[in-house]
Amino acid sequence: MPSSKITTVSELKNYLYLAMQLEHATLPAYLTALYSIKPGTNTDAVHILRVVAVEEMLHLTIAANLLNAIGGTPDLTRPGFVPSYPTYLPDGETDFTVGILRFGKEAVETFKKIERPSKGDGRLVRRSYAAGTSVLGRHPESDEMHFYSIGDFYKAIADGFELLEAEAQGLGRTIFTGDPKRQVTSEYYYSGGGTLFAVTDLESAKRAITLVMTQGEGTESSIYDGDDELSHYYRFDQLTHGRYYQKGDEPHHPTGPALTVDWEASYPIAANVKLANFPAGTELSDAARSFNQAYAKFLKTITRAYDGKPELLLAAVPLMFDFRNLITELVRNPLPDSAGCNAAPTFEIDAVTAAEALAAAREEVVA
Amino acid sequence: MSAPKTGEDSRLDQFLAFSAEVTAFGVVALQGTGQAEAYLRTVDGVVGTALVDELLGLHAGAPRAAGNEGGAARGVHLRRTIFGDGRLGPVARNIVKLWYSGVWYELPAAWTESYGPAPKDVTFVVSPSSYVEGLLWTAIGAHPAGAKAPGYGSWAGPPRIPRFAGDRLSPPAAEPVDGAVDAERVPA
Repeated sequence: MPSSKITTVSELKNYLYLAMQLEHATLPAYLTALYSIKPGTNTDAVHILRVVAVEEMLHLTIAANLLNAIGGTPDLTRPGFVPSYPTYLPDGETDFTVGILRFGKEAVETFKKIERPSKGDGRLVRRSYAAGTSVLGRHPESDEMHFYSIGDFYKAIADGFELLEAEAQGLGRTIFTGDPKRQVTSEYYYSGGGTLFAVTDLESAKRAITLVMTQGEGTESSIYDGDDELSHYYRFDQLTHGRYYQKGDEPHHPTGPALTVDWEASYPIAANVKLANFPAGTELSDAARSFNQAYAKFLKTITRAYDGKPELLLAAVPLMFDFRNLITELVRNPLPDSAGCNAAPTFEIDAVTAAEALAAAREEVVA
Repeated sequence: MSAPKTGEDSRLDQFLAFSAEVTAFGVVALQGTGQAEAYLRTVDGVVGTALVDELLGLHAGAPRAAGNEGGAARGVHLRRTIFGDGRLGPVARNIVKLWYSGVWYELPAAWTESYGPAPKDVTFVVSPSSYVEGLLWTAIGAHPAGAKAPGYGSWAGPPRIPRFAGDRLSPPAAEPVDGAVDAERVPA
């Protein structure tokens, strides 16, 4: 029976890989919704989605720092790193799916669930899924056991750091054996809330985990996080209420300036579309494939950045603008035989990686 | 915005097919600008739907290109019936300019003298987004000033020129340049 208690460094590394997967998994959903918004409309929503997406990238980088701090090797190119959408996330006793959807009420409700404050007691729950289903927040050694909530998942990680470091210190050692040069710090990262710092000891590790948790959910006593920034859940909640929060507000009762949302002003993209839904051999399926290749290249570049070359995060910036342009092109094109829906990015990254590996292997055989 | 009826839809398809051939960009790239409907509305609004229908009809009826010779024959046909025509030619050229720059250019004075007043025929930018979505930026591997920024540090890499339909594979200058800023050259 798997336990939620982490007892070895190698287990902790597995958890941190899953944390990176989890932090990343929100990006395709947030970015697609963001870029599905019609130009010139929904400026408040554009701003909110952009801020949250940038902070999710920060969380991804923080998870990489945590993994590097204990001598792990982040790898965003491993098969299954990018889930197949819709993917499942824990939500107390039950779960919900995160999909690739157009901006609208359904998408915002999902985003609020992703960022919702957790109320678990750190336990695992058993949930069964069909084979091949992507599930986030599961136990690294069991496909069936899942954390009650994302907060509980991070709580297990924080406890693991504490326990393992105390054990190591007792033996005159430390678990923070990673090369500090592999840490990504703020000189390579900009334009987001929260700051990036090196994880080199228990104190900085705990600070990093707290930042990830409170930027999403807020602190126990406030809708704001430790840096006085409104948490992601309440940022999205502003769209539901059509009003901004301000300091002193109670949850669900924003009293700041009004904002406007035009729920219909997004391109009507087909939900969770796959390459198989595109007519083969067309310019449109080429465009969908180009997007997956560009995204795979982006993940490859940031993997190298997290693998000892933090300066490569700067090279990843233009790659993000590239795939943004490819997404906006896709969402404006009608998808044939989809009842009037438009095309969308498919995020089928494993297929790209597999094809590239095959091509590289062939080349080796020829050489 | 109401959904287009089937008839209007196929008219948009015809406009896209014509535009793809005369701009050398694919239909997906053209739709990807989000400007197709606005441009068709613009042309209709200035010169009237009858003239636009005539132009699109002639294009749709042009002989299909098969092989190099067929392509040449099609080119000759389009030049004679559309681009060489005193009435349709300036409008066809304006559609090319519209896609590349997002601007409707006032037709030559001789056109309005011969083919009648077109009160809306003045030079104007179709919309703020049409300026941003002009194909010229993509064609020269650049981006519109003040919009669609390509990301911090991207100027360290060479401009990326897309390959157009009918481009020869050589000379090397016409090759598409690989996406990334040369990762190793980024200063630490």
